Amino acid sequence: MGIAKMNKLYLVAHQAEKDKVLAILQQLGVLEVSDLQAKDAEGQAWAEMVEEDQEQEALQSLEARLADVRFSLDFLQRYYPAKKSLLAALNDSKMVVNSVQLSSNAAEWDKISANVYAALRKIDEKLMLLRNEETRLQNLKVQLTPWVKLDVPLEEIKATAVVRTELGSLPAAELGQVREELAAAAPACYLQEVNSDRGESLVFVLYHLADADDVLAILKQHNFNRQNFPQLQGTASENLKRIEQELAKAGSERTAALAGAAEQLKYRDQLNYFLDYLTLERDKKQVVSNLARTGNAFILEGWICQSDLPGLKKKLAAACETVEVLAREPEENEAFPVVLENKPIFAPFDFITKLYGTPGPRGLDPTPMLAPFFIVFFGLCMTDAGYGVIIALLGIVGLKLIKTGPARNLMWIFLAGGLSTVFFGWLVGGWFGLPLFGAPLFFDSLEDPMRMLVYAFVLGIIQIFFGMAIQFYRLVRQGKILDAIFDVGFWYLLIIGLLLFIAPGMGGIAQSMALAGAGGLILTQGRAQPTLIKKFFSGLLSLYNITGYLSDVLSYSRLLALGLATAVIALAINTMAGLLAGHPIGYVVMVILLLAGHTFNLIINTLGSYIHSSRLQYIEFYNRFYEGGGRAFVPFRLKTRSIQIQSEWQNK
Amino acid sequence: MIESMTGLSLAIVGAALAVLLAGIGSAIGIGIVGQTAAGVVTEDPDKFGPTLLLQALPGTQGIYGLLIGFLILQRTGMIGGTPMEISMAEGWLFLLSGLPIAFVGLMSAIAQGKAAASGVLLIAKRPEELGKAIIYAVMVETYAVLALLMSIMILFGI
Repeated sequence: MGIAKMNKLYLVAHQAEKDKVLAILQQLGVLEVSDLQAKDAEGQAWAEMVEEDQEQEALQSLEARLADVRFSLDFLQRYYPAKKSLLAALNDSKMVVNSVQLSSNAAEWDKISANVYAALRKIDEKLMLLRNEETRLQNLKVQLTPWVKLDVPLEEIKATAVVRTELGSLPAAELGQVREELAAAAPACYLQEVNSDRGESLVFVLYHLADADDVLAILKQHNFNRQNFPQLQGTASENLKRIEQELAKAGSERTAALAGAAEQLKYRDQLNYFLDYLTLERDKKQVVSNLARTGNAFILEGWICQSDLPGLKKKLAAACETVEVLAREPEENEAFPVVLENKPIFAPFDFITKLYGTPGPRGLDPTPMLAPFFIVFFGLCMTDAGYGVIIALLGIVGLKLIKTGPARNLMWIFLAGGLSTVFFGWLVGGWFGLPLFGAPLFFDSLEDPMRMLVYAFVLGIIQIFFGMAIQFYRLVRQGKILDAIFDVGFWYLLIIGLLLFIAPGMGGIAQSMALAGAGGLILTQGRAQPTLIKKFFSGLLSLYNITGYLSDVLSYSRLLALGLATAVIALAINTMAGLLAGHPIGYVVMVILLLAGHTFNLIINTLGSYIHSSRLQYIEFYNRFYEGGGRAFVPFRLKTRSIQIQSEWQNK
Repeated sequence: MIESMTGLSLAIVGAALAVLLAGIGSAIGIGIVGQTAAGVVTEDPDKFGPTLLLQALPGTQGIYGLLIGFLILQRTGMIGGTPMEISMAEGWLFLLSGLPIAFVGLMSAIAQGKAAASGVLLIAKRPEELGKAIIYAVMVETYAVLALLMSIMILFGI
């Protein structure tokens, strides 16, 4: 139990069997392949045998096909989003495929993927062209719209042998002045205001070529902004009509293109399967870069759980002819990846341990020790039997619906926490803030919070003492018996002595115990210091750590505070709802208020209870013994999203 | 003015302060997290759930404030009974009982909001580390819980 025993594994086999060996390893998923390039190979006998990226080409081809499949899937997802229900997402429903079928299916999927990719790529380009065309037309439409009243065909806006015509805009305020100046300088010039728009006058100007310099100078002086429509035939209104038609055409072409994409939707499942297949193949190729090789053989290095080793050896021996497997225990200070192994009732609580981090390879798995405390604390933070029933029911329904994954672990925790809440709610709380089944069995924590506070502190002292006991055991197991007595034993003496002062008639024993503990700490806590004076002073200073114990115990007061918070808010909701009774509409509002209020209280306090119960483990409990810094075990395995591979190698 | 003030008015001032200040703190704290979360969700809409969880954390101070306000009103008979005759001395005690959660709630909710906002940034890059982001924010909450406890103990001691 706890942290699994790991073995270092070396595997040697002939090159010819490499693919087969890798396929078996991937399907079994029990071996973490060490990265030979990542670590300093210098000084190792096989340093120059490490081969780099030996299947680069195959890898690149796989990556390219992966990119194609991802493009197709992303494209379909963008225009036709696939909705996955929450339940399906939690359940990870997958298509089951036999590993032999997989490779025969893969050829077919490859063909489908290539066709879909080609079709979608074409549609994508078409859509892009249409988008550009639409943008162009829209811009032109904006430019032309103000000129709709101009009845001169646009192709005639140009210079002839004797006259020149121009279109453009002028500030509306200056139009009168422009007219006057033009009339004075070039009487033959004709200026017509076609439209006015946001303080700009849109004008049509016609003048004799001989007057060109004068006219242009005047226009320029008044910020004339020339507009050209070089490629257009017919009047502005004719052109606008044509643009509308073209826009409509582009729109229908877009619809047609998207309909073409919709035809490919039926292949979405196959594309998802193919994505998984390619990912698996790529993973296999990537592992190859972690191999070392000689002329005809290859060497693979990795970590495996000791319990999985015989199975792996047997299966490899049965399937391959040249495989040689060597395994050894980790060396004295060698770090190995960590797997948490626990009995089924504790296993779901791995979830809480892993949230904090992975324990160190030579530390202790705290899961079984924290699980009972967690459940009790959760119940005390809720302290409402009615809410407990709902949480437990949610857990049961969740377990029925969710079959795999971390969400299932959470449901187990819900079930256990819910039952604990019912228990403590019955003991010291109520049912939805009401004494539905008479007074609480033990006492009402709302009536006597001080009593509840004492129980919270007692629970805290129990957990802290338990944590110290674990540390004592750990040190003894490591052969550091003196350390265990000095660093844990003396603290026990001091704290128990101080606690006994509260008990009547124990003063004498309490005093001698506390003094013995304190004396022991002063004498031993400075033992790492070089000089006698330093030893004494660091010993004396170590007594200051008593504040750490004190604040840790006080921290458990949150059990009372959160329990009271649940109860008082439930009470507040009931009181407010009670004020509404006595009127027909009042009853309706009352029911809504009760439902909404209790749902809110339940959610906010379940969240609070969960995180505060976790915190008491992480900060107050772990502080006494926990050794972190571990690295989680990441086996080389089948990583799929849509298919589940039924392997002839996998354990049933 | 002073003569017409009764112990009951003082108690109500205490209830109002608890709800007011702790509520303001929670509103600011939740706002801070919401701003950061909205930024993260523009990049990745799937992060709505976890960021919402972090955003809810600085909300508890407001609830604690409401809780104390409610308890003060209940114990002075303002809710579910007839308002009691309360001496000035008792009125001061009721007022004081509201202060721990009022002030600690105000400041801790804002501080917790900042910690949770940084937690949102943490899960933006490493979604698997949600647990750690929550724990950082909950470290702040401890002091709001302690203040709540003191408020309750003063109130029940009257």
